Amino acid sequence: MNEMLSRRSFIAGSGALVVSLSVSAAPVFAQGAAAKLTAFLEIAADGRVKLWSPTTEMGQGIHTGHAMLIAEELGVPLQRISVETANPAPAFRRGVTATNPGAMSSGGSWGMRAWHVPLRKAAAQARAMLLAEAAETKKLPVGELDIVDGVVMRGGKAVGPIGAFAAGAARREAPAEPQLRDKATRKLTGTRQPRLDLPAKVKGEPIYCFDMEMPGMVYACARLSPVFRGELQDFDAASAKTVKGVTQVVALPGGAAVVANSTWAAMKGADALAIRFKPTPHDKLDSATISANMKAALGSAKPAVAPRADGDFAGALKSAAKVVEADYEVPFLAHTPLEPWNAVVRFNADGTLEVWAPTQAQDRLLGAITAASGLTADKVTIHTTLLGGGFGRRLRDVEGVRDAVLVAKAVGKPVHYFWRREDEIGQGWYRPAQMARMKATLDAGGKVTGLSFRAAGTSMVMDFAAPATPIQEGGLDGSSLQSIADTRYKPPALLLEYAMHREPVPSAPWRAVGSTQNGFFLECFLDEVAKAAGKDPLTLRRELLAHDPRALKVLDVVARESGWGTPLPAGRARGLAYMESYGSLCAEVAEVSIVDGKPKVHRVTVAIDCGSIVSRDGAISQIEGGVVQGLSTALGEAVLIEGGAAATRNLDSYQLLRMPDAPTRIDCHIIESGEPMGGVGEPPLPPIAPAVCNALFVLTGKPVRKLPIVLGA
Amino acid sequence: MINLTVNGKTHRLDVEPDTPLLWVLRDTLDLKGAKYGCGIAQCGACTVIANGAAIRSCVTPVEALADADVLTIEGVGAKGLSKLQQAWLDHQVPQCGYCQTGQIMQATALLKDIPKPTDEEIDAGMAGNICRCGTYVRIRAAIKQAAGV
Repeated sequence: MNEMLSRRSFIAGSGALVVSLSVSAAPVFAQGAAAKLTAFLEIAADGRVKLWSPTTEMGQGIHTGHAMLIAEELGVPLQRISVETANPAPAFRRGVTATNPGAMSSGGSWGMRAWHVPLRKAAAQARAMLLAEAAETKKLPVGELDIVDGVVMRGGKAVGPIGAFAAGAARREAPAEPQLRDKATRKLTGTRQPRLDLPAKVKGEPIYCFDMEMPGMVYACARLSPVFRGELQDFDAASAKTVKGVTQVVALPGGAAVVANSTWAAMKGADALAIRFKPTPHDKLDSATISANMKAALGSAKPAVAPRADGDFAGALKSAAKVVEADYEVPFLAHTPLEPWNAVVRFNADGTLEVWAPTQAQDRLLGAITAASGLTADKVTIHTTLLGGGFGRRLRDVEGVRDAVLVAKAVGKPVHYFWRREDEIGQGWYRPAQMARMKATLDAGGKVTGLSFRAAGTSMVMDFAAPATPIQEGGLDGSSLQSIADTRYKPPALLLEYAMHREPVPSAPWRAVGSTQNGFFLECFLDEVAKAAGKDPLTLRRELLAHDPRALKVLDVVARESGWGTPLPAGRARGLAYMESYGSLCAEVAEVSIVDGKPKVHRVTVAIDCGSIVSRDGAISQIEGGVVQGLSTALGEAVLIEGGAAATRNLDSYQLLRMPDAPTRIDCHIIESGEPMGGVGEPPLPPIAPAVCNALFVLTGKPVRKLPIVLGA
Repeated sequence: MINLTVNGKTHRLDVEPDTPLLWVLRDTLDLKGAKYGCGIAQCGACTVIANGAAIRSCVTPVEALADADVLTIEGVGAKGLSKLQQAWLDHQVPQCGYCQTGQIMQATALLKDIPKPTDEEIDAGMAGNICRCGTYVRIRAAIKQAAGV
């Protein structure tokens, strides 16, 4: 595989410099001793720079963004940097505290906001070490040296390329607090730069895990229980072996893997396999039952947990001139990264284990690998490939990697273990189905005096964290009130509640997590409130945010840029929505018409205050992608449950947005307020579904209270 | 044995005749550019061109292509980037990139049939290719650049 080859040839270059972020007592290793991998940077003798990124590249462009930071701070051309995702080690973990070792993981739109400072610091350390080495060997005053375009310079004169000083610099101590370059000199970050990974992607080079080949490798196709959390009862291996090329069938907790000498033989063998699964208590579960359970939880007399109760909502209800009330609902959503789950596992003769996998959660994978293999973590190397999409799905895969290891163990050869699309969708770990009951109270003048929001549904956090139990049964799942519990809206009374009703359908973080459903719930409901109050939806939101200049600016920018309030062609309307998530405030306006009975989105205007940005085009592409993915959930996506399993198991029935339904235009307006950096991967997603639904509300006079949108429902 | 011509080179292949072209390309010929996404001709990640027309290689048995001339992304870019590939870079289209080789092959076939497509023709021509990352607006722009419309 190219990636492996390039890595090997890179390391073969002498004089690699390794800078550790754990600067306390960690020595700086020269090449060879660098196997500990507590390191971000290597510099080869020819001046090439290797960055070990703490973040998975799943399409969000983070590796280019990280490389931009290094290029600027170190003083090398961007194109001279190659990036790979690191093997888990302390330096690459987030959330490290005195009592928590943290974890290496790519979620929560943390890729840039968590790492821009540590990566700049790592580059500054490397620069200081290189300059110290150059100063000593060339007998020059270090204070007069700098690195420009990969060359150590004194005044306007070249002292030597950085590669010439790399080996010596690697023997030096990294300064604990290196001097960062003056902000005023930054010329690269904040600009548009071509992504480093795109040439390989337009040429179709083998860069994904599914493309891996290695000598002796066999192919193993999963055949798993379609019923969620189902277990294997038994199978008849001979039935699969009738397929030419099938060599073995390996039992797995949730089914089996059919091993063959080609992908196609493994797939055919998986189809031919006679297999039975144990009955489960939920063999008859369906979507209607799940909806009824949520509805019951919404109306339950049993007190829901209330994380926030500002003012006196009961009093507001009593004295209200008008009460607006509505129930909203969203279905389970599948992440559907286009590359289905797969992993390559190789047990090496020296007792070590290597796993190549498209993962967002290296430490979670490492735990599953050590448990399944019986090896200690120091014997395991995880090679994170470039991902064919993640969206949160690749934060999970505990079972997927466990099974890959079990198959490799049973077969005794390197194994490419894979799921087909039906399992990628059908094994679950969805954005949870949820409902919300909202009430708003208005005084005689149309002013909002109170707002209550009760969410109900299964608990994503309990599913995702299991077997750990961060919350109690019936407790508060914070994700169910995400972006609501900390809303900047300030009605005089605000009551938030959550009623848990767990389901066996496994749920997990899905791009923007709880904010996806809550953006739809609250922002559509606010337009119902605005209508009841006789107010423009922008005016209502400005009133609720009157105390918050930062939020008002986001609203005002989106209103101005979208032409809010200006005339539109007949049959076309605008809808507005605003939501803050992952540290960024985002407002969107959608221009919508109804064509052949279906919503048609013409133009989307986005205003986002994410504090500051590093990779401008990276941010814009994430905004565009978030808008399209959010629109996809509004227009078509829903996992339907029948017989305890997903009924929508492939892309014929699980409807992803296609080009004809994509907006004609997406205009992005990034507000660099200088506030702490927020994310851009997730925040653009939540506002789009409500913006579109709110435009439809204008066009039809009927609120959309359930996704995906069915006009006339 | 089946004769298959891929990117101008004819191979004599000892594969099961019902094997979809996708797996012959990927496993037998080590051409990994065409991708597996759904296996049922719904996502277009496996798109290649056979006898000038875009096909879904995941559902096309290799025996049906005995005399066909198959073009894959590796062939498209063999002598330097094609106009479409360059436009894809100019517009920085891909995110995860997994669907993009299929998108480029579909667009290659589209522009061969309709050198100057309208917006509607681009949408209709590309409707069989899903991009989960949501790069559609940039794909449209790249096709227009390559087509000069």
